[in-house]
Amino acid sequence: MNAIEIKTMNRGYGGPPVIENLSLTVPVGHIYGFLGRNGSGKTTVIKTLAGLLKVESGSVDVFGRDPWLAGALEKQRIGYLSESQTLPPMIRLRSIIRFSAPLYGDRWDTDLCQSLLAKFGIDPNRRLSQLSLGQQRLFGFVMAVAPRPDLLILDEPAANLDVAVRREFLEEILELIRIGGKTVFFSTHVLTDVERVADSVGILAGGSLVAEAALDDLKDQYRRVRLYDFAGPPPHEIPGALSLRTSGRELSAVVRIDSCQATTHLAEQYSCQIEESQLPLEDLFIELTRTKK
Amino acid sequence: MLFHLNPSNGVPLYRQMLNQMRERILGGGLPAGEKLPSVRDLSITAGVNPLTVAKVYQFLEREGLVETRRGTGTFVASAVRTFTAAERREQLDPLIRQVVAEATHLGVGAKQTLQWVEEEFSKNQKRKNL
Repeated sequence: MNAIEIKTMNRGYGGPPVIENLSLTVPVGHIYGFLGRNGSGKTTVIKTLAGLLKVESGSVDVFGRDPWLAGALEKQRIGYLSESQTLPPMIRLRSIIRFSAPLYGDRWDTDLCQSLLAKFGIDPNRRLSQLSLGQQRLFGFVMAVAPRPDLLILDEPAANLDVAVRREFLEEILELIRIGGKTVFFSTHVLTDVERVADSVGILAGGSLVAEAALDDLKDQYRRVRLYDFAGPPPHEIPGALSLRTSGRELSAVVRIDSCQATTHLAEQYSCQIEESQLPLEDLFIELTRTKK
Repeated sequence: MLFHLNPSNGVPLYRQMLNQMRERILGGGLPAGEKLPSVRDLSITAGVNPLTVAKVYQFLEREGLVETRRGTGTFVASAVRTFTAAERREQLDPLIRQVVAEATHLGVGAKQTLQWVEEEFSKNQKRKNL
């Protein structure tokens, strides 16, 4: 069962297309880390999933339904934290809660709402403007989670959060998943957060995904290699290699390997010595987004 | 059960966990028949995705190191075998390759390297005998 299924989606804003032939799948029960550089179109995709934007062509399904056409009951299943909150600054938090809760009927979990606010040290009697930016973000998160949504969509949730609070917040995402049957889709620039909790990753560049895989598989698919001690000059090209650099009789590159296949064959092929290491997600991200702009 | 996990390491989290559990089981740190924490509990204490823990248990089960008894949980297998020669080799392989690469880099030959490795072995033995 898939929570999200996007097929050859296209969308622009009058100019050149922002999203071009994007396809993406998120199975139920997964935490999906949606990555991309600034301006790569992440928010466009997220708004489409939340039913706030219409696709130009292609299809977007959330629980088998186009969110643009979804009714109130279907939308109750989706929790959404937008990138920028636009709430009146003078409003008290408890008023926002009193306004939001009835929109979700029985789904709204008052206890969860209260316990999360207490956990994050947020007093519902305060006004929105009295909270720090980080606290406002957390409050938005609590509002998105309180209806116990089947799909939780978070656009840059970790922005403005300090390290300690971010950990707690990630722990809450995991807690949500542990209950079972829930799905989380979140975009972020903090790649270590993704490495900590996500099981699937999609990397957006040039309007579509340059990589989509289980995080473990993605890490297993690439290696950074250093080839040295060549008999002659090092080759200028290795098929399939990313960011190949040479210096004297040395060569460094990121190569994609098939499962079970070692990189040692490179050493034999070019008759040289080899050193290899695995790449943290951050390095992988830079390599994959550099090739396509 | 405590783990030493580094998410930003290039090695996938599940493999870091898998290696540490495997070492504990095969090294006798977790005795046969011992009940392991549930996927949910372990994912809480280790602060990782429950799917990661489930994957670790799946691999351990495939390797015959743990058994899942329906309704009661996951246990260290009653007849745990020790590492096979191939597995020992696999565990040591990256380290061996690194030593050889470094030695080559420094211009140290195989004979000299082996001698130093042997010395380390006897030092280790002495420490054990003390």
